[in-house]
Amino acid sequence: MRAYLLRRTGQAVVVVIGVMVVTFALIHLEPGSAARATLGTRATDERIAVFNAANGLNRPLTAQFVSFVKQAAAGNLGTSYSLHQPVSTLIAQRLPRDGVLLGLSTLLALALALPMGIFQAVRRGRAEDHAFTVLSFGLYSIPDFFFGLLLIAIFSVQLHLLPSQAPQAQSIGGILADPRALVLPVLTLALVSMASFSRYVRSSAIITLAQEYIQVARSTGLPERLVLRRHVLRNSLLPVITVLGLSARDIVAGAVIAEAVFNYPGMGQLFFQAATSKDYPILLGSTLVVGVATVIGSLIADIAYSLLDPRIRYVDG
Amino acid sequence: MRVHSTLKAGAIGLALAMIVTACTGGSSGTITNGQSAGASKGPVKRGGTVTIAELGVSPDFIFPLPPATNQNGYNANLTEAMWPYLVYAGDGAQSVVNKDKSLFSTLSYSNGDKRITIQLKPWNWSDGRPITSRDFSFVYNLLKANFSNWNAHLVGLFPEDVAKVSTPDARTVVLDLTKAYNPDFYTDDVLSTIPLLPQHAWDKTSAGGTVGDNDTTTAGAKAVYAYLQKEGAKTTSFSTNPLWKVVDGPWKLSEFRSNGYYSYVPNPAYSGSAKPVVDKVIESPFTTDTPEINALRSGSSLDVATLPLNDIKQAQALSSSGYSIASVPIPGVAAVMPNLYNTAVGALFRQLYIRQALEYLINRPQIVAKIYNGYADPGNGPVPVKATGTWASPLEKAGGPYPYNPATAKSLLQAHGWKVVPGGTTTCVSPGTGASQCGAGITAGQALTFNLLYSSGRTTTDEQNAAIKSSQAQAGITINLRSEPFNTLVSTIGTCTAASHPKSSCGWQLAEFGYDPYPLYPNGTGFFDTGGTNNYGGYSDPTMDKLIQATEYGASASTFTTYEDYAARQLPWLWLPLREGITVYRTKLRGVVPLNPFSSTNTFEDWYYTS
Repeated sequence: MRAYLLRRTGQAVVVVIGVMVVTFALIHLEPGSAARATLGTRATDERIAVFNAANGLNRPLTAQFVSFVKQAAAGNLGTSYSLHQPVSTLIAQRLPRDGVLLGLSTLLALALALPMGIFQAVRRGRAEDHAFTVLSFGLYSIPDFFFGLLLIAIFSVQLHLLPSQAPQAQSIGGILADPRALVLPVLTLALVSMASFSRYVRSSAIITLAQEYIQVARSTGLPERLVLRRHVLRNSLLPVITVLGLSARDIVAGAVIAEAVFNYPGMGQLFFQAATSKDYPILLGSTLVVGVATVIGSLIADIAYSLLDPRIRYVDG
Repeated sequence: MRVHSTLKAGAIGLALAMIVTACTGGSSGTITNGQSAGASKGPVKRGGTVTIAELGVSPDFIFPLPPATNQNGYNANLTEAMWPYLVYAGDGAQSVVNKDKSLFSTLSYSNGDKRITIQLKPWNWSDGRPITSRDFSFVYNLLKANFSNWNAHLVGLFPEDVAKVSTPDARTVVLDLTKAYNPDFYTDDVLSTIPLLPQHAWDKTSAGGTVGDNDTTTAGAKAVYAYLQKEGAKTTSFSTNPLWKVVDGPWKLSEFRSNGYYSYVPNPAYSGSAKPVVDKVIESPFTTDTPEINALRSGSSLDVATLPLNDIKQAQALSSSGYSIASVPIPGVAAVMPNLYNTAVGALFRQLYIRQALEYLINRPQIVAKIYNGYADPGNGPVPVKATGTWASPLEKAGGPYPYNPATAKSLLQAHGWKVVPGGTTTCVSPGTGASQCGAGITAGQALTFNLLYSSGRTTTDEQNAAIKSSQAQAGITINLRSEPFNTLVSTIGTCTAASHPKSSCGWQLAEFGYDPYPLYPNGTGFFDTGGTNNYGGYSDPTMDKLIQATEYGASASTFTTYEDYAARQLPWLWLPLREGITVYRTKLRGVVPLNPFSSTNTFEDWYYTS
């Protein structure tokens, strides 16, 4: 297992570097000047030259990339051209916000999707199964921004029951201290994710329910409740683990649409604004963080597999 | 069962009706003219909090002299309430100097307009110390040593054009300039960019350093400026750093969060007559207008907001939620810029008759009426008629030199050797440089086909440019539209001149950024003069240069009109209507209107709730 983890870590480093190289090349291939995008319409040639010199943009691309890697290895992701703050500070401000929003919505989605998927599998082909299938497809097919706007229109604008904005506090404590403001954004993201998760759980549970060991368990007189909890639930989690592992990236990358609808500036907005304003330090820094989160999420999913299913063993070498 | 079905159907119907009502808003509402609206009166209720929506970008720098690399215009919004400019722009709805809020008591020009004597008001800083002429010389010394790293610096102007600053007494500043200026220009466009700063508190080079006359040497001024710039960028200490607690404006910063949320409380030592009435003003950031509109319609948190014109259809719904809405003209010029040195079409744009034909084919009155619902300046020339009416010439007020006239546009083209094909492709059939020929550099068979790049994100801009494309087609002129985010647009459009055609930044043909703002004195410096900072298309005309210089250096009032009419006729840019700003405010909040065109939602010392 240790050798496996070391090998995967090595692969992860290669993947992250590869992602950084591709990202670096792509943002520099895009036409336009970062200096002009930052300095605006009144930029003089002199100011552009000063900007390029100050940010090392007048050096060869390879030298710029090597500098970025060296700085990043030392924990320095540079300073944003447009926001004039260290990228690490900007990420540190926004990452916890996305962590709370997407973490809570993912947990809620799981809490709803697991019983729903298993219930559907047990009632496969019956009216209840069809009803939840329609619900899942319905929720899944609604774009999250539209779903969010609908919830705001009903619960904020018409009924005045809940705030239309997500919490505006900066700290995690401050965000959690305003639970009413969390309801609509969490619900918006959770219901869409629930629709997706429940389909995986349903499919997996249907396969599990057809296994011989389930029939054996039932024939031994084990109550159905225990059969579902001990055997079906555990095995049905495996495909969801994969999805969850990959969704670590989403939690770090933010939810740009939901952030915009609920006025909740997070990583998604940060990246989007950086992309439109050619803010290279933010683009590279965010990509690095998201890349690392993706490989870590994938690694955790692999480890979780072995914990949930003893038949899965990772072979060294 | 039937009862259940009926209930279910009824519930669904009710929900849908609620959604539809919530999403659509009303079709019309009362929008008052924010300029002509009289200041509504009512019994003053002292205290209360006003929350203002801050749409788009947030401030990130507090020292009032930001570096050249920081172009965030919202920094001025943050600092102006604490460190107002020597000359305060806008008095109520009027585009004039606000003498009540300005820091000077008299400004006089002498020595052939080469000397300015500034008498300061006997006002105090928030720590009780008097505002003195030394505070002006402090600013001058800092900028003299660092002007190349000051974002408001205009080449050749303050402080470069100052030969000497003398301070004969504590409240008098004498500026001797290197040349004579038009007093209107210098007061309105130069002195209105200079705040006074507290020398007695800020003239040091480190947090623990001694306050002294460090600014009086170049090295010292550089060190002080570097220190203040460094501190000014630390968003985490905006509201706690002792430096920023010494103010001379009506407000003090009480909180600043890194997401752009900030709040002010009154400066109890403010010496001006318009003392704050409300207890607190909060600026709450919004990334887009969608959550801003939702927050307004949910009626909970916002008291004042500016809205994009796209959201004007929400007026009725907002009115019924207890808000009033007012429009205010924007001091600026909206235009399409032609690239006179684009390899493919530059030769076409260099012909005045082609620019005239293009302008004749822009149906500005229709754009104002149909797309902007009447809330726009007509855009008859370089000077806005509504926002800076005192400077608009009779020609502009009468509709400008090129009112919408497709027939005249066609005649112009035909008279210069073009075969006009309405709805098709108009081509040059008579190349050459004669009076009835297409002009230099234009080849036989060349079509009038142009690419127009414009800034994305506003429905009204999309509609406006679609209307222009449609009306140009009447004379066989093809306009290909492409929109890009503003920053992307800026990053790809470079200045092209007769001497320079870099491929990377000269590929554009027509560009529209939105609008360029004017200061109080709306002359063409930087826009239409040769080498002007915003003169992207390479327009160069010695007569225009001379007329613009006359508006800066001449003392005659007629020089402005002469420049304005010449620019309107020469079309360095193609004039467009300029949308107005829309401000939403709680009806019970008074003093918001009349709106100041230069700082419409920043004059909160004038606001109060009624009891």
